[in-house]
Parts: sequence; C-alpha cells; structure tokens
Amino acid sequence: MCTTKEVASPLTPHIATVTKIIDETSNVKTFQVVFDDPEVLENFGNMPGQCCMLSVLGVGESMISITSSPTRKGMLEFSIVKVGRLTEVIHQLDVGNKIAIRGPYGNNFPIDEMKGKNLLIIAGGIGLAPVRSLIDYALDNRDDYGKVDVVYGARSVDLLCFKYDIFDRWPKIRDTKIHVTIDREEEQWDGHVGFVPAYMEELGFSPENTVAVTCGPPIMIKFVLQGLEKMGFKDENIITTLEMNMRCGIGKCGRCNIGEKYICVDGPVFNLSQIKLLPPEF
Amino acid sequence: MNIVTENLRKTAAKLLQDKEVEMVIGYGLGSEAVRTQPVFITSPEDAEKLVWNPFCANGLTKYLSDLKTHAGKIAVCVKGCDSRGIFRILQDNIIPRDKVYVIGIPCTGQLDYAKLAAKMDVSGELKEFAEKGDDFIIKTSKGDFTVKKSESLQDKCNTCEHHNPVVADYMAGDKVDLPSVLDSYDQIKKLEAMSPEEKTKFWLSQFERCIRCYACRNTCPGCTCRECVFDNIKPDWVGKEVNVSENELFHLTRAFHLAGRCVECGECERVCPVNIPIMLLNKKLLKDCKELFNMQTPGSTEEGGSTFNEFRLEDPEEFM
Amino acid sequence: MMANKSLKKDQVNNLLNKIAQSSQLIAPIRSENITRFKPVQSGEGVVLDYQNSVVPPKDYFFPQSEKMFSYDTSDPSWAITPEAGVPNRVLFGVRPCDVKSILLLDKVFDAEFRDDLYIDKRNKTTIVAVSCNECRHTCFCGAFGINPGQAEGADILLTDLGDRYLVEVLTEKGTTLVGSCSDLFADDDGNGPAAKEKAVAPAIEKQMKIDLEGVKAKLDNMFDHPMWDTESLRCIGCGTCTWVCPTCHCFDIVDFNNQSAVGYRYRCADSCQFANFTRAAGGHQPRPSKKERTRQRFMHKLRYFVDRYGDFGCVGCGRCLEKCPVNLDIAQIIKKVKEVG
Repeated sequence: MCTTKEVASPLTPHIATVTKIIDETSNVKTFQVVFDDPEVLENFGNMPGQCCMLSVLGVGESMISITSSPTRKGMLEFSIVKVGRLTEVIHQLDVGNKIAIRGPYGNNFPIDEMKGKNLLIIAGGIGLAPVRSLIDYALDNRDDYGKVDVVYGARSVDLLCFKYDIFDRWPKIRDTKIHVTIDREEEQWDGHVGFVPAYMEELGFSPENTVAVTCGPPIMIKFVLQGLEKMGFKDENIITTLEMNMRCGIGKCGRCNIGEKYICVDGPVFNLSQIKLLPPEF
Repeated sequence: MNIVTENLRKTAAKLLQDKEVEMVIGYGLGSEAVRTQPVFITSPEDAEKLVWNPFCANGLTKYLSDLKTHAGKIAVCVKGCDSRGIFRILQDNIIPRDKVYVIGIPCTGQLDYAKLAAKMDVSGELKEFAEKGDDFIIKTSKGDFTVKKSESLQDKCNTCEHHNPVVADYMAGDKVDLPSVLDSYDQIKKLEAMSPEEKTKFWLSQFERCIRCYACRNTCPGCTCRECVFDNIKPDWVGKEVNVSENELFHLTRAFHLAGRCVECGECERVCPVNIPIMLLNKKLLKDCKELFNMQTPGSTEEGGSTFNEFRLEDPEEFM
Repeated sequence: MMANKSLKKDQVNNLLNKIAQSSQLIAPIRSENITRFKPVQSGEGVVLDYQNSVVPPKDYFFPQSEKMFSYDTSDPSWAITPEAGVPNRVLFGVRPCDVKSILLLDKVFDAEFRDDLYIDKRNKTTIVAVSCNECRHTCFCGAFGINPGQAEGADILLTDLGDRYLVEVLTEKGTTLVGSCSDLFADDDGNGPAAKEKAVAPAIEKQMKIDLEGVKAKLDNMFDHPMWDTESLRCIGCGTCTWVCPTCHCFDIVDFNNQSAVGYRYRCADSCQFANFTRAAGGHQPRPSKKERTRQRFMHKLRYFVDRYGDFGCVGCGRCLEKCPVNLDIAQIIKKVKEVG
C-alpha cells in the first residue's frame, strides 16, 4: 500500500570513497574523496565557501567546508579537526574506506563581485580551510583578480595547515604573497613571529579596491576586524564565515539560526554589515 | 489577604532588606485565576508579588539545584511535601545548608487544576478565596464559584504525611493540627495482584502516551545529575526515538534511579502533559523499600534519605 | 468547487467506516481524559466534540520521530535504502488553528530543499477540518487572524449545526472524497453558511482577546531586554511547550545501529529549550542559560518567523500555556512585551 515518494530526498547522502589522506597537523587531516557515482560530482556544482554534511553511517553527521576549489576537478577535499565523536571516527578512516556526503550547502564567497579586486585573506589555524577554496579559485582564474595577499598563522609550525600550499605552490604564482607567522619563537623557524592580527597591521594593507576575507578562532577575528577598521576597510568589504552547530544543513531543523537567518542556507559567508544586523547570538 | 500571604511578604521584604538572602523563591499570581507561578524576588519592593492560596501546587525546591552557583543565600517557600525535597537536595550535596533559607508554609491541601477546570471558569484573576467546611468559595474576575474541597483536592493531598514542613527557618503560618495520613498503597496492591500480562498491558498503554518532554525529570528534586543519563549519546543508553519501547526504558530507569530517594512529592505526575500515573512506579518502589528496609519517606529527616547508599547489618538477605 | 453539502449526524459513523475501507483513517480518540489523533479502523470511538487534542495532528506530517533510511555498512558499497512513503490517508476532525499550523509548516518544509518526508505525507493526506462551536479559555486563534469557522488549507470543512454538519468542500481532494461516498451527503438547503456563523460565534466571542499590534516592532528592539532574565527563571527546561506546539519544527538527526553494521538514520523532534540543543563539539555554546533559550522561543514565534516567512509562528491554540508546568504563558509574554517594550 505504501508508494514511492515524488520528491528527491535532500537528507539522503551519496556514498563516496576516500582516495587520499594528508596529515596536516597533529589533529587535522585533509581527506580527498570521490563519489562512487561519477554523475554526482559532475552535477555537484559546489562554489567556494560551500560546505557538505559528512558522515560515517552509524556515527553521525557533521558540516565541513569544502576546502578544494571547484576549479580542481574530479574530487572534493575536506580538512577535518579531530574534536568530537564523529571526527574522531573519520580520522581513523583509511584510503579506500567509504564516507557518506550530502551537499553542497550554504552560500558562497561573492566571487563575481570580487572580480577585478585585490584579495586580502587573513586566516588562523584550521580557518584557512574554508578560504582555501576561494584562494585556489582566484589563483586558478588569475587574470580575473588583482593582488592576492594571504596572512596566515598558527600557534606553532606544527599547527600550520596546508604547508605544501603556503610554502611551495602559492608563492610561485604571480602577484600572490603568502605571509606566514607563528605565535611564539621556535628553533628552525626564521619566519615572522607574532599573532596574525598584529602581523596584518604590521604589513599594512590599503582598502583601495580590496576585499578582506577572514576566518579563524573568534579571538583572532575580533582583533582582525579591529585592525581592518583601523586600516579603513568598509563593512561591506569585510567578509567572514559564521559557525554554529548544524544538523540538517537545509534550513529546517532550527539548530543554526541566528535571528531569522539559518547559517546553513543564508550563510556561512557573511559580510560585516550583514553581521551587524543579526542579533548578537554567537 | 490571608495571614500567610501577609507573613510571606513581610518576611521576604525583611530578608532582602537586611541582605540576609539574595533571592526569595515563592508563589505569585498566575495567568489564570486558579494557577500560580513561581516568582523569584530579588528586591524588597517586589515582595508584594508573593501569595499563598490553595493553587500553589508547584514544588519550588528544584530551583535550588538550578541556582546552586548563584552568589548569596536563597530563600525558598515550601509546603510539607516540598520540604522533603529540601532534605533531598541537601543530602545529595547539591547545595550547602547555609546557602538555603527555608520558609515553611503549613498546608491543608492544594486544589487540582483539572478538577477545577471541569467545574468552573478557571480564567481571569483571582480576587479572594475562603474555606467554609467542605466548601471552597473562589472569587475571580469571572465570577464567584463554590466547589467542594473533597471533590477538588489533588489526589495526593488525601494521603498527606506532612501537613507542616519538616524543616523551616521561618514558619509563615500556624502549624496545621491534622493527623498524618500515610499512603496505604492500595493502588499498588491492586497492581501487584495483576498477572504479568495484565501489568504489561496496563503499563504499555501508559508509556505509549509519553511524549518524552522530560517535565517529570526536570521538576524532580531527586533528578539533579549534572549530565543526565538520558542526554548521553556516548554511550547511547536511551535513544531519542519516541516509541513505547524507549519510553518504557526511560520511565523504568528513572524510577530505579530514584528508588530509595524519591521524596513522594508527586510533582512528576502533576506536570505530565499526558496524565501518565508516574507516581504508581515511584510508590511501588517506596512501598518495597519501606517494607524491606524499614525506610521512612526519604526527605522526612535531615539524616539518611538514601536507602541504597547505606548498608546495615540488619538489611534483609533471604536471597543470599 | 462543489456546492455545499450537508451530513446528518447519524451518518458520521457511516462516513468514517466508508473512509476507513479505502484509506488510512486518522481521527480524534479520547481515552484517559485525553484526546489524541490516532489511526482507526472505523468510526467507533471517534469524537468530534473534543476541544483540542493534547498533541497536535502535525505529528502526521512531521512525526516526533521517523526513520529516514536504513543502511548496511557491511555491504562494501554502503547501499542506502530509503524509507517508503505513507499510504493515502484522511486526517479527520482537525481544528482550524491546527490547519493553519500546517500551512505555516509548509513554509518551512516545502521551501528550498523540499523535504521529501514531509511532502509525501502532505500529498497523500486529505484534511477534513471541523469548526469550533466552543473554545477553551486558553484559545486565542483570533489574535493571529484565524477564524474558528474557516479552514483555508483543509480539503473539507465540517461545521456542527446541531442535527447535521455543514460540509464545505474546499479543494479537488475534498471533491473526490465526497464523491466517493456521495450517498451519505445531501445538498445544503442554502441556510448552511448563516447557521454556521451563528454556530461558531461563541468560539469567536469567548476566546482570549490578545492584540498583536506593535508586538513584532517592539520585539525587533528587545533582544537585550531584562524581561528575558525574569521570565526565564521559572522555566524548567523541559520540552513540553515544543512537543504540544503545532508549529514547532526543530529536529535532530541520529544514527541508530545497536553495535552492528545494519542500522538506520532517523530524525526526531528536538527542542530549543533543551540545554544541549545548540552546544557544539568543541564546546561552543551560544545559548548557555535559560535566558537565551526562553528568549529564543518567543523571538522565534513572534519575530524571526515573521521576518523569514511573513507570518507569526503561533496559531493561538493555547496548548503550551495550559501544559507548561510553570505557567510560562505566551499570551502573558505578549502582554508584557506591549507593556515594557
């Protein structure tokens, strides 16, 4: 008597296989995955800034940003911090294991509005992961964007993510400067030492034709926003990502609401003038 | 205004004025004539909000657990049944005795909201009430109503063990001189006499209605675990699905966690939105503990109150 | 649309029996002094003079818990088996407030990312509403523009006129249902609508009169208002208000597998009143105390829902204020907002 449903299910995941695992730091791993059904990735249409619900069937789901740019075809990359029940299990996966994915969810960085502008990316720790999709998108479409400056830091050299990008790949690209810093002096490190917000101010950036994008721990964001304000950046040109506990990813379960916005569909990307309109609940 | 209300207001105002306590938790008028709501008075002027009437059904002792980190002393109004909850919370080391000021209120019974709603218009504002023999005259903004006390009391008030609080730093009224009526557990005996099939049928039909609101748990002065076992996902003791199997596990587990500790205040049953007779479970365990271990109703005295945390040589051991 | 019909009271049972033969029939049943919507095999025990069910019939579109799909991780491809849809069914005897609540839930579930679980149930359900001749003292549907004698969104609306029901057929689905048992219905003699107005008048007059004028505008500026500190103190953080509310829609998604490779994923209603609703792995907790959670409930119903969906997220059914153990009353909150906002 039961009949099939007429509408495709937005909550049913697709199955993917882990094809590569990179140990970024002691508690961060990057997983490269390929959907078992190639049509899924062909039609995925993910944009920089979007996220997916990742899950190990039987354990649970978690919203993780897609760190790879859609210009890098044939796979998706997710960088995952081991911080809870599910991520602990994900960290135990091997190449060849399965993972369930649904998405892409959320809005994306305003890549069209950013065309022709300089990009100033300020990130800390794992915060580089969501903006990495934007950086690679811009660098893969180099002519469409102006100067790209990345100010990136972590507590120690060990905790720097994507070392192969920040030290090798990105600096080789024209008009692209990566400014790396760590919080405290370390042997074998002769780069900059100091907190990210301070380093950003030290370097100094003009707001002229520039969009600033920042992502990282809340304390860093707080000081970065102060610094950007000092340097004359307008609220509409300062972009960040908001994070809340998410469950459905499709704007229905109510968990990630701030005021009338759902971070999973109206975010996670917001500019500062939009954030100032939200109730201060994060 | 009755003398208890007067005393409550005067005492609360003075305690706050003298900064002897930071907060007084008591009863205030509710949004319907026959309801009160818990009020949290923090300034002497607000003491006027306190009332005492036969609609003060809520037990307020659980708030001591919510507010255990609140700076300063907290005063709380308790009836006899609620006052056992004070000892429960103290015996479970939730809050130290010197942080609590107990305002005791002698009580001759609380009226049942559902019973009243079937007899009168319960909306509007309460103006006054009076007791004349078995008659209760309730004057509200919607009219004057007379109900029979014997027909309108909460069921639990027919077997009231403590008309007067078992502990009080201040008594807001004269002690009630009525005999203590202990539950003879007749209802329990009826259930005990049922066959296993009959019992299963009865209980599953009750648990099937449960909507897992956890109002029973949240209002219980004995349920003060920092991380409740039913909220744990690791391990996942009780799933979040709402079905008769999970519901049964919830109720039976909670009853056993309270065995030997439940103070028989009856709040769990009162707050249940779907009328599950939760107290039947608790009373069964109370009856068994009283028979097996010669236990008093937990919370009746300052000492003890936690039968399964004690071992005595004279405990029954016919199973050994 | 089909012209108004009339259904004699002594035919209601026959109608229900007939419906139960070809569809699943869900109707109000009273037991232990509580009325709930339950699947029934016949008209026996169905009550239409109840005042409102303890939990709303929204549970038949958005169940308190429902399986989403099953899986078997011992299968190397991790094949997922989605749950089948529901059978065709008739939801009988729904009050106008609850009908409106389903329209409000449509805005959530039938929006971007159309929710297949919900839409399947909506498509397969014929809603037969029944007007209110009386109301509880806790009813205030009028505040939200809901008329106890109207049920836009239902397929058929019945109104008790004493000896008979006026049958207003509102949609194609309703036409189909009436057509399938046409011998039970007579044509309305033309007096139905006027009689209906008289019949539902008490429900309009006697309910609580709450005026929402200015409430949304005030709430827009009351995020930091101290009233949330005081009102939240008595909340005990249970989920009663959420579970009895016809418009609450928050949910959790959980995997269940009992230590084996075979299991299923289910979703279950969740409440923003629970302490760990917003708590994230890693410890981030944007609503750490009852104040934030109490504020969230009323802001969501009276402000955020309006901003997002253009309508209040409350239908004035009064269930929450009746069942709340500590008398946290949304009508009282509305009055307070007007006073102190």
